[in-house]
Amino acid sequence: MSLSTFASSRPLTLGIELELQLVNLHDYDLTGAAPDLLRDFERRKLVMDVKPEMTLAMIEMATGICENYTDALGQLTHIRDALVAGADRLNIGICGGGTHPFQRWEERKIFDTPRFNYLSDVYGYLAKQFTIFGQHVHIGCPAPDVALYTLHGLSRYIPHFIALSASSPFVQGADTGFQSARLNSVFAFPLSGTAPFVESWADFEKYFDKMTATGVVKSMKDFYWDIRPKPEYGTIEVRVMDTPLTVRRAAQIAAYIQSVARYLIVERPLALVEDDYLVYTFNRFQACRFGYAGVFVDPRTHEQRTLADDMKLTFKRIEQHAIELGADEACQALLADVRTGVSDADALRAAWQKTRSLPEVVQGQCDRWRE
Amino acid sequence: MDLFFLPIWPPQFNDTMQVAVALMLAGLAGEGLARFVRLPRVSGYALTGLILGPAVLGWFSQPELSLFRIVIDLALALLLFELGVRVELRWFRANPWILLASIAEAGLTFAGTYATLKFMGTSADVALLVAAIAIGTSPAVVMRVASEFRAEGQVTQRILVHTALNVLYSIVLLKLIIGSMHGSLRNDWSAAVLHPVYLLSGSILMGAAIALAFGLLRRGFSLSDEQGVVILFGLLLLATALLQVLALPTLMAPLLAGIIVKQWDRRPHLWPRHLGTAGGVLVIFLFVLTGATLTTQAVVTGGLTALVLIAVRVVCKGLGVALFGRVSGLSWRQSLSLGVALVPMSAVAYLLVEEVRSIYPALGNQVGAVVLSMIAVLGILGPIAVQWALRLNQETKEGPG
Repeated sequence: MSLSTFASSRPLTLGIELELQLVNLHDYDLTGAAPDLLRDFERRKLVMDVKPEMTLAMIEMATGICENYTDALGQLTHIRDALVAGADRLNIGICGGGTHPFQRWEERKIFDTPRFNYLSDVYGYLAKQFTIFGQHVHIGCPAPDVALYTLHGLSRYIPHFIALSASSPFVQGADTGFQSARLNSVFAFPLSGTAPFVESWADFEKYFDKMTATGVVKSMKDFYWDIRPKPEYGTIEVRVMDTPLTVRRAAQIAAYIQSVARYLIVERPLALVEDDYLVYTFNRFQACRFGYAGVFVDPRTHEQRTLADDMKLTFKRIEQHAIELGADEACQALLADVRTGVSDADALRAAWQKTRSLPEVVQGQCDRWRE
Repeated sequence: MDLFFLPIWPPQFNDTMQVAVALMLAGLAGEGLARFVRLPRVSGYALTGLILGPAVLGWFSQPELSLFRIVIDLALALLLFELGVRVELRWFRANPWILLASIAEAGLTFAGTYATLKFMGTSADVALLVAAIAIGTSPAVVMRVASEFRAEGQVTQRILVHTALNVLYSIVLLKLIIGSMHGSLRNDWSAAVLHPVYLLSGSILMGAAIALAFGLLRRGFSLSDEQGVVILFGLLLLATALLQVLALPTLMAPLLAGIIVKQWDRRPHLWPRHLGTAGGVLVIFLFVLTGATLTTQAVVTGGLTALVLIAVRVVCKGLGVALFGRVSGLSWRQSLSLGVALVPMSAVAYLLVEEVRSIYPALGNQVGAVVLSMIAVLGILGPIAVQWALRLNQETKEGPG
């Protein structure tokens, strides 16, 4: 399969996908209720973008094209409400969070579609371990070369997005010490990582053709990159975020990414260099492990500061763009959280400290999701 | 030489010996079924009881069985409390179709059983009593199979909710019917009204009291680990004893207590299943004892009727659930298997027969002949039906761990 041509989309429009957890209300473990929930939607003839994911206890919701933060929040809330009502009819819980705190991966069951069965065959237990829940944000790009510029430009800010969304401190019943442990599961996949450093769409097509010729990949879907272009939509897709505990925060994070993208596209602050990626995995790890408190190495000056400090600087730099986009309120709310050190991961840890019960932590996640 | 220290010859075996051997055989039968044919262990326990009981080998006789009554009461109290905690009343508000499915299924079973018995020439009193008991689904079988296969999912949840409701319908209806018999048989109409009122209101009050005690205890102690669960075990034993002193039925209060606990406190209520190892052994013994209730006389007088009623019951339960299955959010496959999974009958039905027998012995024997024969079949095949339903919908976890 060759690469589709890059569709043109209205610049800086948004699209948000959220992968969600389905749990039972008895012990709050994951439950394979995705087919039940999808059947409920079908029966009610609800026209919404709600899809199955790799295993039966996951469900994915997606907005259409959103003009701005308010639109995105409205669409997310609308779908969220429908999902919550459907979950209530089935007596199950639905919640955000990048990992389920105590599920056992070997108990998961693969959703029966040709693609998921194929992935399960290829990746074996990794497919079941991939029961992790992420937020993906699409940013509309007017042209393919602009998309690649934005993609590489955004890579500097990947640690920001990780720290802002981090909500996966617990894995398989234990506190990992990470703010976002979810991304560790992504790394296990052979085609994870970053897109090749090419700046023109023609070069990207060449790379893609070479890769398909090796037989390793068949389509763009086989790349599990942190940011990848989605030529069919004319967007780039940022994929490093955990699903936050609330739709509001998911929309705020999308608005922040949108504002940074506008800053990059409009101001073109720096010419891209491949060496920017030298610090990429270090910064990314620091964000996963320590969140706002992680060390951030500036790719250009090699100066070290905390991630929180770098984010505060960024908020100042992009403020005008956020105002232009109607994303200022969202960015201010995030900035306030960075200042006070509030994150979903810490909230989950606090809930555990208080109750000493991971099922009760999940119960709290379900309550938060209704907010 | 005085060999006073040697045992008497031939040795005199006491009751403990009998119980011990029964328990071991049951355990072996259960493991055998699980290992070689992958069937529920519960079926093995019930089968052992049936073979050791009066109908086949005659190890246990009817009067001996009543000695173990406290075991049955306590084991059921544990199971019914656990079951009650799985019932979310909020669910009925979000999805009233489930309640309708339950009423349809129970109503059809009652009507179908009654009509069949009348058609076969049974007296109205017996037909009414059997029909009320036939509504019930065995909580013991359902809970036990669900936990043996660590079942989880839409069908599992609905089996549990329907079972809890069926136990309630069955008990309440039976009280009302017995009450009305005080009027018609004894011409004592004040007892006809006051007896059911006392039993029902007493059960509700005791249920609330158990729930309150549970709530207070949970504030101070963790009831979810192997140690703390002793407190809960003691509480339920105390409640069972109190219920007996007050001449209240031992079944309803623990179930209501569980339901109330879940409504008051939405936190997860988790403890080792059946309250740990001791509870687990009690539950196994419960199945053996229930299996052993069948007598030859019951088979002769009620066996054939029982087989007909089992068929009628499967159809009625299946139909009732299927009517509202799709609107309540199930697939066809799920609703059909749900209907089949509601078929088991076991200890609760036995206790209800005993209750009738204690008040109206002759009537009780007639009811017992049919119901005990149904229990013998459904105590063994019922668990297999539940397992089949859960497996068909991929709700079991049978891997390691």
